[in-house]
Amino acid sequence: MATLPHTPDKGDFETAATSRKSTSTRAPSPAPRVRRDKVTSHESFLTYGNGRWWKIAIGVAVVSFASYFLIDVQPRHNGGSWYGYTMGTIGFGLILWLTLLGVRKRAMTPGRWSLKAWTSAHVYLGLSLIVVGTLHTGFQLGWNVHTLAWALMMLVILSGLFGIYVYATLPKSLSANRFDEEGAITEKVMIEQVRQLDRQIHDAAQPLDPEAAAIIERSLEENVFAGSFLQRIRNRYPSDRTRAAVVELRQLRNFRPRLDDDPFERVETLLTKKEALLAKLRRHLQLKSWLQAWLYLHVPATFALIAALSAHVFSVFFYW
Amino acid sequence: MSFLVRQIALKASGGEIVRAKRVDGDEMKIGRDGSCGVHLQDLAVDPEHALVTQLDETHIEIESLHGQPFEVDGQAVQRKELDVTHGNELRFGNHRIVLGQDPRSRFPTFTVRRHTPLSHSSADNDMTDVYNLKGLLPGKRMSAWAFAAAVLVAFLAFPIWSYASYNDLALKKDASRPEGYHADKSWESGKLSLAHQSLENDCQACHVEPFVAVRDNACQTCHTQVHDHIKDTGRLITARGEPTGFGAFTRAVATTFNKPAGRCVECHTEHEGAGDMAPTAQKFCTDCHADMKSRLTDTQLPDAGDFGTAHPQLRPTVIADTRNAARPALRQITWSADVKEMNGLKFTHAQHLSTTNGVAQMVRRRADEFGGQDGLDCENCHQTDPSGVWFKPVVMEDACQTCHSLTFDKIGGTFRTLRHGEPEMVVADLRGFFAAGGPPRPINLDSMSRRVPGDRAAAGTASDYARAVRFYPTQAGQAIQMLFNRGGACFDCHNITRTGTATTAGYNVQNVVQTQRYYHKGWFTHAKHTRFECVDCHVKAENTNDATDLLVPGLDGKGGCRDCHVGESGAKLASSKVKQPVESGCAMCHDYHLDEKAPWLTRLPASRRASYDRRRNAGQPSAR
Repeated sequence: MATLPHTPDKGDFETAATSRKSTSTRAPSPAPRVRRDKVTSHESFLTYGNGRWWKIAIGVAVVSFASYFLIDVQPRHNGGSWYGYTMGTIGFGLILWLTLLGVRKRAMTPGRWSLKAWTSAHVYLGLSLIVVGTLHTGFQLGWNVHTLAWALMMLVILSGLFGIYVYATLPKSLSANRFDEEGAITEKVMIEQVRQLDRQIHDAAQPLDPEAAAIIERSLEENVFAGSFLQRIRNRYPSDRTRAAVVELRQLRNFRPRLDDDPFERVETLLTKKEALLAKLRRHLQLKSWLQAWLYLHVPATFALIAALSAHVFSVFFYW
Repeated sequence: MSFLVRQIALKASGGEIVRAKRVDGDEMKIGRDGSCGVHLQDLAVDPEHALVTQLDETHIEIESLHGQPFEVDGQAVQRKELDVTHGNELRFGNHRIVLGQDPRSRFPTFTVRRHTPLSHSSADNDMTDVYNLKGLLPGKRMSAWAFAAAVLVAFLAFPIWSYASYNDLALKKDASRPEGYHADKSWESGKLSLAHQSLENDCQACHVEPFVAVRDNACQTCHTQVHDHIKDTGRLITARGEPTGFGAFTRAVATTFNKPAGRCVECHTEHEGAGDMAPTAQKFCTDCHADMKSRLTDTQLPDAGDFGTAHPQLRPTVIADTRNAARPALRQITWSADVKEMNGLKFTHAQHLSTTNGVAQMVRRRADEFGGQDGLDCENCHQTDPSGVWFKPVVMEDACQTCHSLTFDKIGGTFRTLRHGEPEMVVADLRGFFAAGGPPRPINLDSMSRRVPGDRAAAGTASDYARAVRFYPTQAGQAIQMLFNRGGACFDCHNITRTGTATTAGYNVQNVVQTQRYYHKGWFTHAKHTRFECVDCHVKAENTNDATDLLVPGLDGKGGCRDCHVGESGAKLASSKVKQPVESGCAMCHDYHLDEKAPWLTRLPASRRASYDRRRNAGQPSAR
């Protein structure tokens, strides 16, 4: 019988499937392939073009800083000096261009101005905007529309920074979560699996008495995608019905005689499977929420920023 | 009798599958159990839920077996007698059963349909958005519009409305907006300076018209008496010259955006924070003055740049002629080491300040008056005025007379003194003194005196005495002559000429005028230089005995200003060594809007300047 090499020192833990004394008749499935072992042509937008855009962004920041300290603005740096106006104009243009990613991303093209190039430029030029925008203020901040624009800009940039962080870290977890012994499963398959389990549970529960049947019914009626935003990002579903059904069913079973071919056992096995599936599904939902949630701040704050920026520029010319 | 049961299931394609069966007997069960006539695969239904009994051809009775209700036409019941021809609808759990009668066999029919999917997941829901946050958070597009609109209303529309409501208050000195929030305050980039604090609530006081940069007439609403830098603005603009290079570019941009040059606010920048207004930086002065002669060719002013390296020699205003004491003729000359000033006085500074000569000895002898000094000090004669900026004129009676006494007679314990400054009185007093008195009577003319026999000796004495009495008053002329000529008390200090009238015996004492301020275009204050000795700057005082030597220091040389003052950024330090360098921009001594007072920068009290330094120069002390 072919057995899997067991190497506990490399992180393999003894399970029924890996144990040499295993009585399982099922052929052990190969471990999921790890992405980093594969040679890919994939290049992240973070390192696109041999880091062209972060180099440019560093250049922008260095030039901005150097000129800030070299140019003597009297009585002190402010947005209304020629240097301030220059930085402000650059910043304004940058913000509008960065916003255009929302338009650009809906049209994918390859090449030098590919979407990846745009995204890379978006990220790094966006970060350099911290320097450009802040030096434009001359560090004169207050409770006014000008500082509101700056604060919104920082909010957008920081939320974007958070977005980069989750984009860089979470997809790995997302992939790992989607793997099971059959290989990777898609979102569609996940729903299909829930449906199939529900059907099996439904059929298996037919012989049950009304009390137990009602418990099962509650699990079947549950919307597995229900849950508030907070529940999703925290992956906490305290009133999950499937979980409750498992618990109640076990309690009920404690007072019943054990039978051969007990329908209770079949149902319980299926419910446990559903519970595991839901855990995977909800972990998936959690990761996806983190991946998406920052955009719900990033995008509206961008438009608030553009509005505040318009008011900022308008007010400067109005009270010229 | 029998029942006909038709179970209808839906196909994936949407069609229906009908499975019909006949259940014989007068009774039939409805339930989840496979043995039931109407078998409902439904967890909400009891294994044996209800019993159907046929009463006659058209009537049946349905009764719940275990107390679990069922619905008949929406009403929950335990038992119900029904006419099958009425087509009632029963409901067990998730199943609907429509009653009827088969037209051919007349058997009651049960048409069974599941009306809800067996689980939530298997419902034919729209699964496209279940994996994203749609519905859980306000939509991105929605909130983007909402936020943007809120910002535009609060920070654009509302402020414009605020402005429009009060813009008729512009250019009115005492008009102000009512207290409370005005939305255009949200446009304020920084607090106004303390001087303009009262305008904090009145944007339109300066921002008179929208899209028009602040004009001077707004400033002049209150500032009605500002000294112009120069009356002829044309010359000012010529002196400034056309900007070139980057300056021309920024000028062009400013013109494009309707920002004319030469406005008050170009230098007097506002909204820089609550504090003092920023001082005008040196570069604004030197923009014009560094090479003004090249543009304003007929100007009398020498070019002036950084104080340490490119400032012209100082030009003190000195007295040229003291004939009119009230309005002496003044002359502005270029300072040099041997420049003279005719103040009409003779005075030996070096001799008086010596610590080894007779003057010093006299001071030491009078320790009770001079407090044990080794010799005279400057302040024994020169006293500052209350401001500490300048020195009071030296007054003879206070400063000189303690040594240079004008006493000429003693009657009882009272000394008679010649009147200083009034030569006619001096002459009259001396004449009167000699006219009224006589020579002391010789003791041997007394009748009681012992004498040699005979009158010869007495006659001689009497004759001599008579001659002395006869000629005594004429000694006044001699005394006056001695007084006004070399060796006399007046001559020692004053310039005497023989152009006087008879009342002064033909003598004339030249007027004495003391200069209090030598530099009128620049500012100097002794108050800020008290830690130095007088002779540190007035170096010649210790070695000249010529009172016409100008002791005021100039730019360079020992005691000159540049001994310490190195210009705004200390450029001088690059080429020479300065022991105690003091950074000094133009504004330390000069004002753009020149007046007789101290320049704006030095007018700040120390406490406020400290805070000014903190805010403007990030802790670096400003030029002072």
